[in-house]
Amino acid sequence: MDTLLRQRLLRHAQFTGALRSFFNARGYAEVETPTLAPHLIPEPAIEVFQTDYLPARGPARPMWLVPSPELWMKRLLAGGSGNIYQISRSFRNGDFGSPHHNPEFRLLEWYTVGAGYLDSIGITEDLFTHLIAGRAAGRPPTELAPPFIRITVEEAFDRYAGIDLARCQEPAALTAAARARGITMSDSLTWEEAYHIVFLTAVEPRLPRGKPVVLLDYPSLVPTTARPKPGTPWSQRWELYVDGVEIVNCYTEETDSGALRSLVRHEEERRRGCRTSHAADAGFADLFPPGFPECSGAALGVDRLEMVFTGEKSLEGVILFPFSAIVDGQSSIHS
Amino acid sequence: MIKASDVMKGTFILINNQPHVCTERDYVNPGKGSAFVRLKLKNIKTGSVLRQTNKVQDNLEDVSVEFRETQFLYADTENYSFMDTKTYEQFTIAIEGEEEKRNFLKDGENYQVVFWESTPIDIKLPTKMVFTVSEAEKAERGDTVSGATKVITCETGLKVKVPLFIKQGDRILVNTETGEYQERVNT
Repeated sequence: MDTLLRQRLLRHAQFTGALRSFFNARGYAEVETPTLAPHLIPEPAIEVFQTDYLPARGPARPMWLVPSPELWMKRLLAGGSGNIYQISRSFRNGDFGSPHHNPEFRLLEWYTVGAGYLDSIGITEDLFTHLIAGRAAGRPPTELAPPFIRITVEEAFDRYAGIDLARCQEPAALTAAARARGITMSDSLTWEEAYHIVFLTAVEPRLPRGKPVVLLDYPSLVPTTARPKPGTPWSQRWELYVDGVEIVNCYTEETDSGALRSLVRHEEERRRGCRTSHAADAGFADLFPPGFPECSGAALGVDRLEMVFTGEKSLEGVILFPFSAIVDGQSSIHS
Repeated sequence: MIKASDVMKGTFILINNQPHVCTERDYVNPGKGSAFVRLKLKNIKTGSVLRQTNKVQDNLEDVSVEFRETQFLYADTENYSFMDTKTYEQFTIAIEGEEEKRNFLKDGENYQVVFWESTPIDIKLPTKMVFTVSEAEKAERGDTVSGATKVITCETGLKVKVPLFIKQGDRILVNTETGEYQERVNT
């Protein structure tokens, strides 16, 4: 008879296998890209792990563990890869005082050429159906089954915070509206900070539970590589929440190199606040020549997905050697 | 001052001159902007709960508190009574707002109490405590199905969901934060 540990290992392998079989069957090429890199995506909010490369001659060169494989996968797309996916090890440094963070984690990224962000909702719903059919769910499947609930960020702010976000496009207006709703706001916040404080205090905790929720059309004032919705303050971006835990982040990818260049400049300025500064890929914006394909990219936290599918409350239930335990010198497995 | 990122569960901070204890703390990095800590804070005096989100680099006003070793004496309808084990001074803490601690307090047992400006404001429970099962239904034959549970009562009145093999007189380890059964204690 299999030991509990072995049963757990097999369940885990089956889950990862089901993710791969889904994308393989749909003709996505599985790719592998570097986890150790000399430059990273221009995202200053992410703290990273730094190390040194010691070449045969010359000085040591700083290198970083990638916080996501995005940069390399976009290089492949620019080169004509077509649909691709990857389950990569990704790394994020800094605080991890939450049951939903492990500094080293598995990220599933997939890119669908010719698709927009709304198409990717359908793909994710199909992925959930596939996982449920493969008996990956350790909880009532109805709690995970499509269709997902869809709410725009604008509706969510109106419904849960009582704030008309479209009318609060200045930092002072948003701060004042939030204070009027009893939310504690410090002084001189940027718009993006004020937005996140309201979102984290009043909106995210009130998102519906018991069904996956797609929150869509994020404000363009939070800079990302998502393409704006023309004539609106919103971008073609959504996130998937299950049990209030963020699982997927998805965009219609911006392909305009001018827009990407200004994003890189903006992020360069903000990166000075990081504890471990890193080199951003100077060639990032040049990855998007006129031939870069229209596509939608999605990033899914695999450990988190496995956690919500199995009904675990913490990543420790799905990661064999959780970081918090190994840094405390405990390397035994709980099964 | 204390950095918002250093506020942990159990940290005391001052908000509008009122001492609050942090009861939940969640670090959030939306990945597309700044990093934040989301805090749930309980007003020590009124028991009212406040949720707020701060940038990790925000400064908050910390409260310097003192921990004293005390013995729990008894609870009446309104107050918990304690005695400082060093000075033998007796004092009370209102039950209101601290009702959920009632069943974790054992007469004669030592607990740490938090003082702020000479006022007792909080009782610190050990993360895990041992209790004796005072009432439990008899286990039936065939009660070996793994995962099956029943609810038992401990000497303080605490009710805990336990595996079926636990019987009256057993000593069990309980997590005081979640109220969940941890394991049977062999004596």
